[in-house]
Amino acid sequence: MTSITKKVMAVAAGAAVIVGLAVAPATAAPKSGLKIAIIPKAINNGYFTAWNKGAQKACKEIKATCKYIGPTQATGPAQVAFINQAIQQGYNAIVLSAADQNALAPTLKKAKAKGICVVTSDADVADTKTRTVAVLPASSDRIGAAEVDWIAQEIGGKGKVAILSAAATAANQNAWIEAMKKQLAAKYPNISLAGVYYGDDDATKSAQQYNQILTEHPDIAGIISPTTVGILAAAQEKKSKGSKVAITGLGLPSQMKDYVLDGTISKFGLWNPIDLGYVGTYAAAECASGNLKQATGTKLKAGTKTYVEGPNGVIYLGDPFTFTKGNIVTFAKIY
Amino acid sequence: MKSGGFRLGWDKGIILLLVLLILFGGMSNELFLAGDNINFIIGDVSEVMLIAFPMALLIIVKEIDLSVASNLTLSSAVIGIAWHGTGSMWIAVIAGLLTGSLCGLVNGLLVTRLGLSSLAVTIGTLALYRGLCYVLLGDTPVADYPTEWTDLGYQPIPGTFLPWVVVPMVIAALAFWYVLHGTRLGRWLFAIGQGDEAAVFSGIPLKRVKLSLFVLTGFMCGLAGLAYTIRFASSSPDGALGFELLVIAAVLFGGVAIAGGVGTIWGVVAAVLIWGFSRSYLQLAGWDANALVIVSGLLLLVSVAVPRILSKIRESLAHRTSRPSSRGGVTPPPGGATEPLSPAVAGQDQGSHRG
Amino acid sequence: MMAKVMRIRELPIFVALLLLLLLTGILNPAFRTGDGLTAILIESALIGFLAVGQSNLIIMRHIDLSVSSTAGLVSFLVGSYSMNHGGVTGGVAILIAIGVGATVGIVNGALVAYLGLPSLVVTIATLYIVRGIFNYLAAGITVTADQLPPYFSWIGSGEILGIPDLFVFAALAAAIMTLVLRYTRWGRDLYSIGSNPQAARRVGIPVPHREFAAFVLNGSIAGIAGLMLLSRFSFADATAGLGIELYVVAACVIGGVAIAGGVGTPAGALIGAVLLQTIAFALGALGVSQFWQQAVAGALLVAAIAFDRIVAMRSTRHATRLVEVPV
Repeated sequence: MTSITKKVMAVAAGAAVIVGLAVAPATAAPKSGLKIAIIPKAINNGYFTAWNKGAQKACKEIKATCKYIGPTQATGPAQVAFINQAIQQGYNAIVLSAADQNALAPTLKKAKAKGICVVTSDADVADTKTRTVAVLPASSDRIGAAEVDWIAQEIGGKGKVAILSAAATAANQNAWIEAMKKQLAAKYPNISLAGVYYGDDDATKSAQQYNQILTEHPDIAGIISPTTVGILAAAQEKKSKGSKVAITGLGLPSQMKDYVLDGTISKFGLWNPIDLGYVGTYAAAECASGNLKQATGTKLKAGTKTYVEGPNGVIYLGDPFTFTKGNIVTFAKIY
Repeated sequence: MKSGGFRLGWDKGIILLLVLLILFGGMSNELFLAGDNINFIIGDVSEVMLIAFPMALLIIVKEIDLSVASNLTLSSAVIGIAWHGTGSMWIAVIAGLLTGSLCGLVNGLLVTRLGLSSLAVTIGTLALYRGLCYVLLGDTPVADYPTEWTDLGYQPIPGTFLPWVVVPMVIAALAFWYVLHGTRLGRWLFAIGQGDEAAVFSGIPLKRVKLSLFVLTGFMCGLAGLAYTIRFASSSPDGALGFELLVIAAVLFGGVAIAGGVGTIWGVVAAVLIWGFSRSYLQLAGWDANALVIVSGLLLLVSVAVPRILSKIRESLAHRTSRPSSRGGVTPPPGGATEPLSPAVAGQDQGSHRG
Repeated sequence: MMAKVMRIRELPIFVALLLLLLLTGILNPAFRTGDGLTAILIESALIGFLAVGQSNLIIMRHIDLSVSSTAGLVSFLVGSYSMNHGGVTGGVAILIAIGVGATVGIVNGALVAYLGLPSLVVTIATLYIVRGIFNYLAAGITVTADQLPPYFSWIGSGEILGIPDLFVFAALAAAIMTLVLRYTRWGRDLYSIGSNPQAARRVGIPVPHREFAAFVLNGSIAGIAGLMLLSRFSFADATAGLGIELYVVAACVIGGVAIAGGVGTPAGALIGAVLLQTIAFALGALGVSQFWQQAVAGALLVAAIAFDRIVAMRSTRHATRLVEVPV
């Protein structure tokens, strides 16, 4: 090569770099041909079937092989076996909804040591160093506050409310409950919290707890249930008993459609688990391609949208959707 | 002893099955026998195996303990509370072991002093101990254990791929084997299992033996609770759910008859390992979690059905070569009253629930 | 005289139940409105109904832990049939329930009664197998109210004379079963087998046939319980019925059906189920913290078992004497 050609090439290269830096998308496209394990809390749960739908969609787009594996019981110890499977079978990345925020730490450390990228989606772990990023719906504060606002609207800003939660040890539940208490204290001095009841994400127990609430507090004005099983059980019980309690919380539109249409519930919300799975898989693929690390301010491009990483590698998708009579039918068809 | 000889046959058969499984699995899937995978499998079955040993002894004397999972979790909870309270892991460990033994003691006293059925009582203590976990921990699991301890959970013994938990497992296996098959106490256990009344008449301190077994079971639950806590670097009130059925299933699969009086420690070891290895193999082969549950159930059925069918075949062969049955039209009951020497294959009763 | 013995056995439990209801009503005025009692009755209907079938088996010194899987499977099968065929008639629903339930019962019964395998082992195995099949079929699918014919929730929430339908059904079943056990040859055979299987055989009772029949009956009952699950919640997915088998056994034991066999009645088992439910409710109504409730319930369960033992020891002597007299 002549020296002039070399110089031209150098300038061209330099220019390309400058142009590239200015115009480059947040993360380059992920490598193709990656192997990604999609691990839900439990495989038989409808919510995670939707979550997986999003993951598989992303997989097709980035030409990765994704396998949906997980336990039948939503416990940390049960999930560990499947994380191990991913490690043994040499997967490049894991998208995980953590059933237990603590119990998975040792196994996740093992995965990291083997160079496997771990991304949590939907439910995070306590030790943020054991995973690269977490794709979560919205900050606990916003989710909890939103639910309190919904119930406050319905009961006219005063009265007694109770919370019908899932398992007492569920980390995200407890975070939301704390957020709810904060919001109640800050904005609604005329609403008092009667108590927190645990339905363990079991239909029978949740229904029982609903009746317990009504028995212990016959003057209860509203019940907030931030769990799809709980809100469904509460709606069911309310309808069959003709109670006059306002109910809101987080629920799957496909399950709650009837209760909204017949007026048992007027407003509730949820994010879209499909999005969580979709973005989570993109994050995992980008991490496995070396394009994504845990650093505040990093931008992640998933499909057509771009998300920004916050502290500790948390990526929020945005506020939950609110479902009412107006949009429930549309959303019920999606998830 | 006819049945004992047969059960020893099952015991050897199961060890053979384990060897075949490992060979076949290793040849057909190169990931199966990776050191790292074996490390995981052994860790995965460690708690079940530790509790299966004393459970085998209990079932041999026709008792049972359904509270083991709750006991394990309670011990783990106490370890957590003690760790937070004293800042010393060693004190916490001792507290956990004591808790386990105490829970076992309560079970044992209810059974031996009040004469309650162990099946019924341990359903009650299952709920009680689990409930106490919630009382102690509420909704906040303990997860800040020192890393020197939690690293033991998955880092192998230097120079090998074996997890540290294999040390207590091997010691326990050897100790239990020796007690059951090489001491007078072991002979007493078999004697009790084959006939309570006769055992008492020959001077065996029935109640004291059973009480010790329950305490021993509790202690092992405490030890398993420690292993569990380390493996998952946390103590939570909803740990080890459903474990009790797993342990019992493993013990029964290992050739310990629910009717009492028969069983070997090696059978139990082989059974637990088969369960762990077969699950891993199927998982690596792509079977999903639901299929694994079905396989566990089928294995359990096979473990009791096969010896039974074989003994029936032997029976009918024996009848054909000897004089025809003189019992008239009444068919001999399946292993009940007419085979006092083989309660192992009798199996009509649940064993521990005589009045 | 036999009637007196039977009544003595259930009386302490019934009295305990009344006392507990009274106490709760006094300490928590909200309870007195009757809503609390209605809630208790609905909740105990399912477990009570299952306990009716289970008591037959426990009386004969057997057990069936697979009932929760069977009930869950049936609720899902009927629900998804309705989902796929735009509805399901009562006849088809009952057919599926009894068909599936009886099949599981036949498998359990054949293995225990004719092959002589221990019932604890067999039913743990079928619990796993049926649950695995169930999970496999139900993976990710949820059946919701709009896919079920309205009569399901209508039955689930309906009342007759102020008592929930489901409980009336369970109570009728318990009453009929108790009478059958007391007044028919078949029924009395069960007590004989439970008191002394060897003697029962020698007296000529066809023990395997009785055991087999009881398992098939219990399986069918578990199937119908699946329909009750569906009507109670109008909702079915892979977690349906999970974990209730030990509660059913506990209800039987509390209700006087001793694990030792030979004593107790289905009516007692139903009362046991109601008592269990009342304890759970009362603890909440009395303001016991959520985190203490399970521990207290467990302690009460142990106490009930110990108490039951004392009563059983007295009744057994009576029952055995009666039953050994050939009829």
